[in-house]
Amino acid sequence: MEVFSDYQCPACKTLFTTTNRRLMDDYVTSGKVYLIHRDFPLPMHAHSRVAARYARAAAQLGKVEPVEQALFQNQEKWEQSGDVDGTVAAILSPAEMAKVRALVKGGTLDAAIDKDYAQGQTYRVNQTPTTVFHSRGQTYPYPGVMTYEILKQFLDQLLSHK
Amino acid sequence: MMQSSTLNARRIIIWIGRLVLAGIFVYAGYAKLTMGMHPRPSIGVALSFFALQVDSYQILPTWGVNFVAHTLPFAEIVLGLLLLLGVGLRIWATLITLIMLGFFAAVVRSYALGLQINCGCFATPEPLTIKTVFRDGALVALALVMTIFAFLEARNPHPWSAPEKA
Repeated sequence: MEVFSDYQCPACKTLFTTTNRRLMDDYVTSGKVYLIHRDFPLPMHAHSRVAARYARAAAQLGKVEPVEQALFQNQEKWEQSGDVDGTVAAILSPAEMAKVRALVKGGTLDAAIDKDYAQGQTYRVNQTPTTVFHSRGQTYPYPGVMTYEILKQFLDQLLSHK
Repeated sequence: MMQSSTLNARRIIIWIGRLVLAGIFVYAGYAKLTMGMHPRPSIGVALSFFALQVDSYQILPTWGVNFVAHTLPFAEIVLGLLLLLGVGLRIWATLITLIMLGFFAAVVRSYALGLQINCGCFATPEPLTIKTVFRDGALVALALVMTIFAFLEARNPHPWSAPEKA
C-alpha cells in the first residue's frame, strides 16, 4: 500500500489517526501488508513541504513514527503558526533535533519529496490522501479516507487470493 | 391523432429513456464487477473495493455499506436488462427512478458537504464534482419523465399492443 499524504491535510490526519494506526498494528507489524508513506505536499498548503522535510530527516534517524504522529496530532497548531520545527523539537532529544535541522537545512530532502510527488502523478493522484493498493500486478487507487472495518475486508480479500 | 399514432413524442422519450438508462445501469453494474481491469479481479475483491466507495459517502453503517456493495452491481444489471426488455415496464421504470433519486440525493449531499470522494458510479476513479451532480440530475429527470410517460402510455396503449385486461 502506498499512501500519498500531505501533513497539512485534515483528511490525511483522519486517515492516519483512525485507520492507518490500526492497520499498522494488525497488518503491517505482522508483515501481511507493506505500507509506504509517500509525500504529496499540495501547493495550496503553505507548510506541508516543510513538514515533509522534517519527517524525512527524522526518518533518517529512525524516528519517523513519533515525528509523523506529532505532526498529525498537532496539525492545527503548526498550521496556524508555521512552527513545524517547534512541533518536532518537542518530541526529539536536542541531539536528534540538531541532526534533523542539519538535514533539513542541507537541502537534499526535496529531491526525495519531488520523486514521491512524481510517482503520485503517474497514478493520477490529484488529492490527498490517496492510497494505491498493489496486489498480483494490479493497482487499485483509492482517494479519500477509509474506515478500518471496510478497509480490512478489502485487504482480506486481496490477501486471500495470494 | 396523438393517441392513434404508432410513434409520438411520448413513446420516443420512453424509448430513449429505456435505452439510455438500461445501457447505463448494465454498464455500471458490469464495471463495478470487473473494475475495468484485465485480467478481471475476483468478484470478492471487486465488491469489497466497491464497499470502500460506498463507505466514503458516510451515510450508511458498516452492515448497510456491505449490503449495498454486495447487491447493487447485480441489481443494476438485472434492472437494466428488464427495463430494456420492457415487460412490466412501469415497475422497473419506477424502481430505477427511485434508485436514481437515491443516487442523486447521495451525490448532492456529498457535494454540499464538500466531501472529496470518488463518485463510485462506475467503480473507476472519478472524482465527485459539480459535473457529477448535473449528470445525475439529468438522468433523474430522464428517469422521471420516462416513468410518468410509461404510466400515461398505459392508459392509451400502443395500437399494435393487445388491450390490457382489467
